[in-house]
Amino acid sequence: MNEQVAFDRRDFIRGAAAVAFAGAAYTAVGDKTEQLVWQLDPNKCTQCGRCSTHCVLNPSAVKCMNQFNICGYCDLCFGYLQPGSRERDTGAENQLCPTAAIKRTYIEEPYYEYVIDEKRCIGCAKCVKACLVFGNASFYLQIRQDVCINCNECSIAKACPSDAFRRVPASTPYIYLTGDIESTKSQPSSSSQPPQATLGPKSETS
Amino acid sequence: MNESVRQLKRPWLAGAALVIVAAAYFFLLGSSRYPEPGPNIEYNIQAFEDLDKIETQFEEKGSISLNVENPRALAVGQGKIYVAGKDSVVVFGENDQETARFSVEGTPNCVAAASDGTVYAGMPRRVVVLDDHGALQSEWSNDFVSRSYLTSIAVNGSDVYVADAGKRVVYRFDRKGALQTRIGEKDASRDVPGIEAPSPYLDLAVNNDGELWVVNPGKLGLEQYRSDGSIVTSWYRPSLKLDGFPGCCNPTHIAFNSKGELITCEKGLVRVKKYEVTSGDFEGLVAGSKLFPQEQSLRDIAVDSRDRILALDAQRNAVRVFTRKESSPQLSNQRHGSLDGKRYISRTVHTGDELEENDHGFTG
Repeated sequence: MNEQVAFDRRDFIRGAAAVAFAGAAYTAVGDKTEQLVWQLDPNKCTQCGRCSTHCVLNPSAVKCMNQFNICGYCDLCFGYLQPGSRERDTGAENQLCPTAAIKRTYIEEPYYEYVIDEKRCIGCAKCVKACLVFGNASFYLQIRQDVCINCNECSIAKACPSDAFRRVPASTPYIYLTGDIESTKSQPSSSSQPPQATLGPKSETS
Repeated sequence: MNESVRQLKRPWLAGAALVIVAAAYFFLLGSSRYPEPGPNIEYNIQAFEDLDKIETQFEEKGSISLNVENPRALAVGQGKIYVAGKDSVVVFGENDQETARFSVEGTPNCVAAASDGTVYAGMPRRVVVLDDHGALQSEWSNDFVSRSYLTSIAVNGSDVYVADAGKRVVYRFDRKGALQTRIGEKDASRDVPGIEAPSPYLDLAVNNDGELWVVNPGKLGLEQYRSDGSIVTSWYRPSLKLDGFPGCCNPTHIAFNSKGELITCEKGLVRVKKYEVTSGDFEGLVAGSKLFPQEQSLRDIAVDSRDRILALDAQRNAVRVFTRKESSPQLSNQRHGSLDGKRYISRTVHTGDELEENDHGFTG
């Protein structure tokens, strides 16, 4: 009976205050931990197409990127042209992309630049696979952080057959190919800038 | 009486509840509300892969295991096989046994051996010359720039040809490393179309007649040059069909057998094929893509003195050997791309009277 009296209301309030203080301190420390965001490792990607169908957003937050320092600027671009297309031009019937999201621009004979219109891109990876098989593998998928709502449980990550999705620091949210000429499929590195920020034609000068 | 009625009802209710809970579980949690990707957003290359599922004149006859890190280049000469990899050039003798190992600094992209045993190893921006015992003789680097990327090398008498995919040019050096001629640069006055190299693949080979053949990978064909850089002839085969070259840049590697027949190797859908070099007529499949499951798995090809076709497979870390079948049928139906009964001609003979035609899937 005496023991019960010893733990009175004042003790309870003190205990609660201590817990609240500890919680506040933990929260303060936790806030310093960097926020993580979802990203897709292009070296694990198998171009299954689920990024386009399994995102909670429509169209998907996963977009195709072109790594310009790897791109061959080919006239005969398999990422752009339908296999067996009769002409190498911008005709809709010749384009591989189901939403015509790739823009082909003449640079100089015989080189063309390919830029992704991200508003049209649905992240289906059709062009990524074609470029990987027949080209330089300069096309690859990334989650655009200005579109992604960063779900606690990413529905694409859950469906990804190759476990290519992982959380990365929000300060370096992109994983892009380095353009190492030793390998057409290069090791990825992180960046805070969207990969397409490196836009620019290949210099012909020595 | 009431108790007996309750006993009858309870199992039925329990069973129904169980079914409802299970159905709700599978509906809400066990199935995805997202559709699977349909055929419109699927890039299916099965149709292209199936093209080479045909009988061939050749069969795989074993392989030579390599103890080389990152093997990248293959050459034959004087009855020997040379394989270049990280920091080394390994020499295999008549019985495919390793007979020597030369040290080099770096990883050669290409290697060649002269008739006197001198070995030329092409690094990205320099050529290393070794004597027949592996001793360093000289290094050539003055004529290469930061954008150079050497991908092929061949020796023909007193000439050494070096392909630079980065600069899209072929250099002709003498045996002491003095630059003689630049070959393949665009020159309308000499009818030279210019080498297109969208990726780091640019191969060349010299046949038994001393003819220099250079791949123009962006144009998906070959060009023959004289030693002064003038062009002799050219043919291009951009096509997804078996008799052509698909992709952005093929063939990736070429070699000649003792009969002067051209052996080609492709990336993407990896295939080894045989052509008549002057006309560019397809003569048959050596090895189809089903033998090379991973893209870009062949780093180089060569044909040895016994006419064995050697393919450097980096994934297996081996040189795979293909030989003609002992009772090989005459596959005349494979000639001229007769998969569809059509003959393809796109040859240009550079004699002033141009002859050009294009009939293969893509215009160019």
